[in-house]
Amino acid sequence: MNGRAKMEIMEEEMVGAGETDIVNGRADVETAEERGRTMGGRAKLELVDIGKSYRRGKKRHPVLDGISLTVGDGEFVTLLGPSGSGKSTLFRLIGGVERPDAGRIFIDGAETTGERGRISYMPQQASLFPWMSVAGNIASALTTAGVDRRKASGEAKEWLRRIGLGDVADEYPHVLSGGMQQRVSFLRALLMPRGVMCLDEPFAALDALTRAEMQAWLLRLWEAERRSVLFVTHSIEEALTLSDRIYVLSKAPATVLREIEVPFARPRRSDVWKEPAFVALKEDVMALLQRGGAGDDL
Amino acid sequence: MDNKIGRLLLPVGTLIVVLGLWQLSVHVWQIKPFTLPSPLAIGERIWEQRDRLLAQSGSTLRLALKGIGLGIGLGVLSAIVFHLIPFVRAALSPIIIITQNIPLIALGPLLIIWFGFGMTPKLVLLALVCYFPIAWSMLAGLGQAEPHLREYLSMIGTNRLTVLRRLELPASLPYFFSGLKITATYSITAAIVAEWLGASEGIGYYLVLKSKGYDTTSVFAAIVCILAMALLFYGVAALLERLVIRWRPADRNGGRGAAS
Repeated sequence: MNGRAKMEIMEEEMVGAGETDIVNGRADVETAEERGRTMGGRAKLELVDIGKSYRRGKKRHPVLDGISLTVGDGEFVTLLGPSGSGKSTLFRLIGGVERPDAGRIFIDGAETTGERGRISYMPQQASLFPWMSVAGNIASALTTAGVDRRKASGEAKEWLRRIGLGDVADEYPHVLSGGMQQRVSFLRALLMPRGVMCLDEPFAALDALTRAEMQAWLLRLWEAERRSVLFVTHSIEEALTLSDRIYVLSKAPATVLREIEVPFARPRRSDVWKEPAFVALKEDVMALLQRGGAGDDL
Repeated sequence: MDNKIGRLLLPVGTLIVVLGLWQLSVHVWQIKPFTLPSPLAIGERIWEQRDRLLAQSGSTLRLALKGIGLGIGLGVLSAIVFHLIPFVRAALSPIIIITQNIPLIALGPLLIIWFGFGMTPKLVLLALVCYFPIAWSMLAGLGQAEPHLREYLSMIGTNRLTVLRRLELPASLPYFFSGLKITATYSITAAIVAEWLGASEGIGYYLVLKSKGYDTTSVFAAIVCILAMALLFYGVAALLERLVIRWRPADRNGGRGAAS
């Protein structure tokens, strides 16, 4: 306990030192964290050399192999990779549900490897509690994050009204369509006062039309709020439409194949996919993923 | 709406037909009331004895309610303890299952030898009967919570007690109620066995008295009272379930008895 606290203090001092360095304009060793800072200010989330493998019988199956990445303050970062590339495992590590075999995780500059309760989360299924009202679902998540009960319920109602779901705030979630449930789930993640929002393929289960609608909706809402987001998807178009930066992952054991800066300006139009540059970039990434997959087999 | 009436009409109609055939058979074959009284004769007897039957039933109802109270209290408590501490569950569950397999007829006299003729042996007997359905169905329910909801809660970092309160307890409620419905009907039977063993009042006592006197009509009158009480308890439990569990979609398939 004591050692842990001491480490955190040291960590904070290190971060403090880092900041003065930037003020003085001295370029230090280029760590992933530094890159995050130059992108969007201070790194909200930083993963350093994360490795994880699972044991099945006697064989070890490596899932993640030396993943390093950062999410800057107010930055939308996407992990793009084929199914089974360990993206969800990475989320479980960030959430502290599991510990990595190697590497360290920092949130807001403090080491949080294996620590729970530091992120807000939006899973693939809406995961609303059927016995709580729509507003109650949001409010209870906020109280978990330490928000006062009354304030949480007021905030939930206010925001539901703002996204046009005010009249179902007191209904049970089953009255909502799949897309509407995902909006509530996103709102629940957005309102939790935590450093990083982790969105795990939130639109994968929706039909194409709803999905496009949801992307446009999320883009608008996020650009107004500018939270730090780590987003997982296997859709190249979704990644290019929404993100500031993309990490392309290989098949398991996952490594970062490439880091891509998405060049389209903010606020971004949801029909950005019509631009020639978008198509070119999409082809690039597609080729990269195909090569990455093929290279893995050798 | 038509459907609802139809669902009620069919069983009630069948019951009336069965009673009619019964009445007819008794007349046609001249069956003696000592062997099988007619439904009308039973009805008359109930009406004659209504004050006594009501008083005796009331006493049985009170006993059964105490049993259900004990069953709910102990059942819910131990389901939660067993769920949170698997070690306790592994240690105790074989013993509890054994207690469920001892015939009440054998257990009752033993309890009287140990605890005397007062209230204690009756309550122990009732608690043993009422406890099990609630504890075991609720225990199953606590483990049945949806994995993706569990995963969500652990990702946002909730502690064990919050998971219990926000996820596992609400998820186990439908299971609790199917246990309660079983316990509700068992409790009446168990109360009657308890009264049979040694009591000076209650419908069980009345039943013993009348059957020893070969008063078959009164025995049937007592049976009707017992059935009415059991149905009443079941109905109340089902009503409570409907009042408490309102979140299930109200479609025809999902709304009724999904967990039982």
